[in-house]
Amino acid sequence: MSEIEAHSAPAATAGAVLSGCDPDAFLEVRGLVKQFPGTRALDGVDITIRRGEIHALLGENGDGKSTLIRAICGASAPTEGRILVEGVEVSLPTPQAAAALGIAVVHQHFNLVPQISVCENLFLCESMPRRAGLFVDWGAMRRRAAKLLERVGLSLDPMTEVGALRPDEAAMVAIAKAIGTDARLIILDEPTTALLPAEVSILFGHMRRLAADGHSFLYVSHRLAEVFEIADRVTVLRDGRNAGFWTRETISRRAIISAIVGGQKVWSEEALSAPPANGAVVLRAEGLKGGRVEDLTLELREHEILGIAGLPGSGAEEALDLLYGRFAARGGRLNVRGKDVVFHSPRDAKAAGLELVPKDRHAESLLPGASVRENISLPNLHQYLADPIVRFINRGKERAEAGEVAARLSVKMASIESPIASLSGGNQQKAILGRWLASGAKVFMLNSPTAAVDIGAKAEIYQLIREIAASGAAVIFTSTEVEEFPRVCQRVLVFRDGRIVGQLLGKDATESNILNLAAGGADER
Amino acid sequence: MNANSSAERIAAKPRVDLAVWFAHYGTLVSLAALLAIFSLARSDVFPTVDNLLNIMNQISILGTMAFGLTVCLVMGLFDLSIAAMATLGGYVATLLLVKYTDSVGVPEAVAISIGISAAIGIVNGLIVSYLGISAFIATLATGSIITGAMLGISNSKTIITGIPDEFMAIGQGAIFGVSNPIIIMLAVGLALWLLLEHTQLGRHLYAIGGSAEASRLSGIAVKRYAPFALAVCAACAGLGGLMAAAVLGAGRPQGVGDTYLLNAFAAVFIGASSLRPGKFHILGTLIGALLIGVINNGLSVLGVPTYWQYIVQGCLLVIALFSAGVLTMRRH
Repeated sequence: MSEIEAHSAPAATAGAVLSGCDPDAFLEVRGLVKQFPGTRALDGVDITIRRGEIHALLGENGDGKSTLIRAICGASAPTEGRILVEGVEVSLPTPQAAAALGIAVVHQHFNLVPQISVCENLFLCESMPRRAGLFVDWGAMRRRAAKLLERVGLSLDPMTEVGALRPDEAAMVAIAKAIGTDARLIILDEPTTALLPAEVSILFGHMRRLAADGHSFLYVSHRLAEVFEIADRVTVLRDGRNAGFWTRETISRRAIISAIVGGQKVWSEEALSAPPANGAVVLRAEGLKGGRVEDLTLELREHEILGIAGLPGSGAEEALDLLYGRFAARGGRLNVRGKDVVFHSPRDAKAAGLELVPKDRHAESLLPGASVRENISLPNLHQYLADPIVRFINRGKERAEAGEVAARLSVKMASIESPIASLSGGNQQKAILGRWLASGAKVFMLNSPTAAVDIGAKAEIYQLIREIAASGAAVIFTSTEVEEFPRVCQRVLVFRDGRIVGQLLGKDATESNILNLAAGGADER
Repeated sequence: MNANSSAERIAAKPRVDLAVWFAHYGTLVSLAALLAIFSLARSDVFPTVDNLLNIMNQISILGTMAFGLTVCLVMGLFDLSIAAMATLGGYVATLLLVKYTDSVGVPEAVAISIGISAAIGIVNGLIVSYLGISAFIATLATGSIITGAMLGISNSKTIITGIPDEFMAIGQGAIFGVSNPIIIMLAVGLALWLLLEHTQLGRHLYAIGGSAEASRLSGIAVKRYAPFALAVCAACAGLGGLMAAAVLGAGRPQGVGDTYLLNAFAAVFIGASSLRPGKFHILGTLIGALLIGVINNGLSVLGVPTYWQYIVQGCLLVIALFSAGVLTMRRH
């Protein structure tokens, strides 16, 4: 907290300048409020973006970043507040109105059609040059595209198919498309999610050059290390309000992280009061690598809840997939309960007593058209066989066991035969966890188990995770919400660039400590 | 808030929703309605035991093939090779019987021809699972290969003479007045119903069809199931063609299965819109096949030109899929 106060001084002086009319400003947002039924997503937000600057917008999920972007690009009208472009107050009822004023958004996945050429993508939204008003004038289109690509500094044949481009080239094509519509302010929403580090630096090089030409960028990213590298100025939102403002001279990693995290309670009594994990080692990985994971070395004991944290793309989530055999390991050793194992598929991992609750409930864990019973019994059908040859299933036994699990987890449903789709997200997730309770797994790996779950169900799921650990199993937990780690875990390993860069124990496992390690580092500024 | 809405959903459950009811029972209702209309229109011919058995007999080949198709559609796999497979099943059996009269008896001929069909089905499945080609295209390709191979082997000549009576009895005989094809169809249906509804294998097929990734993460060896499902489908298609050859008393090297291909898909999809909307299941497929049989039989009993059968069938398919689709749309 003290760090925030230390840095609120530059924020205040900057604010004083901003409240007048900044002569360098391209876009000024003043006192923006967005009221949704029941919540105030934005509560008087100010932001000023100057000509030719790269301005980073930071904040956790749900703190108002997307709402602010949507207001600036004309996708949804604010309830109150003013937006000024070049000092003139404007209203932005539609994205077209924003585009006409030179504001463009490049979304996370760039909104490009991969099957057609760069050239066609560049002119997708406007009319293509034609001959006789009917046939596409390919020559003219190609020349225009080449000129546009040259302007953004991309040496690329405009006839290349977009699907064949590197992710950083695709990002630049998306930016070129925005500049083609005379965009002066380009909003980049998580543009580096799919990019490798080398590609990110190429993209940043292009961005700096375009900024020097007078284009402004509003850069939104979870990857703090990148923000510190590229941003001229930084605005942090928390709970729909401005939580801090920094310029390149005053940027401080610690202070920014504190502002993002806010002054909330950072660890939970329950996580700390859990018995120390001194049971037998159930899982040991040494130098395991695969996918984005370069080196996974850890030891997991019975009764333990271990967090694996990291920013998106750091390899933290992939570590769980790797342990579960979702993709092949390129090297290293894995030992489960004293036995060296190599997993060729999740089937092997399940046989060894592991389980994985993946992040995307709808795509990876639910059987959407099936009943609650069928969803719970999916991995456990072999327990209910009436005979070993034809493998008839004793449905009575299956129903009884599924019902028992559902009752133990207090899954709210009309009956065990109700379609799983009729349950709320939290109850669906409880059924998925119940699936593995019934299977008797010994190592539970949970990736964002509370994603898209309401607050009440979240608390129940946290409690359930503690009960799983108390019963003697071990839990590996990861989440895209960093604030969850201190609530759930006794020990947190932090990933960066596919490697474990630090371990935080007990009270040290705070959100800001995790973010600091994840964002790069020991080098305090 | 979520807990609230789920409570509301639970509370709202007992209210009968017309669209939901229609999605479940619409096809059964239309089947009953058609039976009633045809019975009233031609009370002398249509509603007799003989004619009803006749309808069953007419759909027995279609039904057998459609049951097999249900198994692979449960997994989400389209098998377009069933037409060629049926031709193969009938031709190979008659060829063996005629060419190797001394060494091959009827049981062996049946076993070999169905075995070859199943083996090709396994190849289909291996292509789908391990080469990653969609079943739609893979089976289109193998179907074409089979069609070509049959024409080559046969020199385009139909086998008519020398087919033993024991073989023709498969298609033409009867037990207690119920013709053999009906019994075969019902036996295949019962076996596959047990497989899909009551065994671990069947449950895994449904799970993979629902979400392959969730199934894989639950420890199911997903890739092993496509060869199985497509082999079952191919064996049923081969059996269907064999029944057709026995009924006809001839082994035709081309075109046997073509008439059944679209009807089999229609039966399975109509079935997926009855009782359990959006799900392929054997009982539904039986209802679908019956519906097609009743339409064709009823219209011909009424003396309506044949082309109307196709038109009515097509309309029915759209209505059935729409009524099932309405429910899926409302669910989300």
